[in-house]
Amino acid sequence: MSTGVFLHDHFGKIMIRSQIGIAATLLLLLPAANFFYPTEYSLKAGIHGVSAILSIVVGTYLTHRAIPLIKDMPVHLESLRRWLLAATLLNLAGAISGNWIYMRYRGQNGPRDWILEQVPFFHNVLMEFKEFVSLFPFPLMLSAAAISYYYGPLRRDIARFVGITILLSWSFLLFGFVAGLILTKLRFV
Amino acid sequence: MQNKPESTPIYSGPVVAASLSLLLAFMTLMISHHISRLSPGLDKLIHSYGYWIPGSTGKGPDGSIGSYSGKETLALAVWLASWLIFHFLWRRQDLSLEVWSRFYVIALIAITLGFFHPLSDPIVLFIAGFFGLP
Repeated sequence: MSTGVFLHDHFGKIMIRSQIGIAATLLLLLPAANFFYPTEYSLKAGIHGVSAILSIVVGTYLTHRAIPLIKDMPVHLESLRRWLLAATLLNLAGAISGNWIYMRYRGQNGPRDWILEQVPFFHNVLMEFKEFVSLFPFPLMLSAAAISYYYGPLRRDIARFVGITILLSWSFLLFGFVAGLILTKLRFV
Repeated sequence: MQNKPESTPIYSGPVVAASLSLLLAFMTLMISHHISRLSPGLDKLIHSYGYWIPGSTGKGPDGSIGSYSGKETLALAVWLASWLIFHFLWRRQDLSLEVWSRFYVIALIAITLGFFHPLSDPIVLFIAGFFGLP
């Protein structure tokens, strides 16, 4: 899991990993609770929430891997490829489950109907924007993964481009995540 | 041909192919979205491309994704077809990634803003006016 040339000592590693473990578990509880919500759509909501949070966690970790790529520092290519592949699959799961839960969002007496009645701006501007930009992270991450697998050692300019692509994918991911969270807080499925 | 096997030349063409095809896909998503909003007939036309996706049609509490399925299908088709074509065209070309990455980021931001209705709607209606569309 090297992020560059800087190496942590043993204590530092334990601290960082414990923090990551605790934070990730607590964060996962947030969408995992959806599975137990009193709605017929709890399974769809739970799967979408969990895949979104996991995409955010892995995507955010990858932004740290993007820095050495952009700054032409040595990277562990094999590990980078695996993380990119994992992020791609998680983003795909997020997009597919997003499509799945979007059906109920648009369904009769679903969140869309309620939002249009109460606060139309949140649907007409926020959701109309979110539903499309949320489709961006998966293909962006796939292109970064494909490039990393296509080339042997990454040439400097190619490594930089992969780093930029990771940052772009994460930006759209974060936006989609926050917008999704706002909408789900406003009116749950 | 005179290169030794261990020093195979590296071409950046495939990088541009992978990323340009994405811009075209996102643009397809944006254009088809705006077209579908112009009239119910155009919405149905866009929707028809997505009928193969489960849950693309249907009413009631379970809902459906509607014409969103058609927009996704068109974008997917443009993405994969253009990626394939550009990849084979440029796999032996070395293009400047410094220039391309700047263009790429700016174009991506521009396309993203195209999904922001308060900004894009006046432009869409202005263009649609030329075609006599509402």
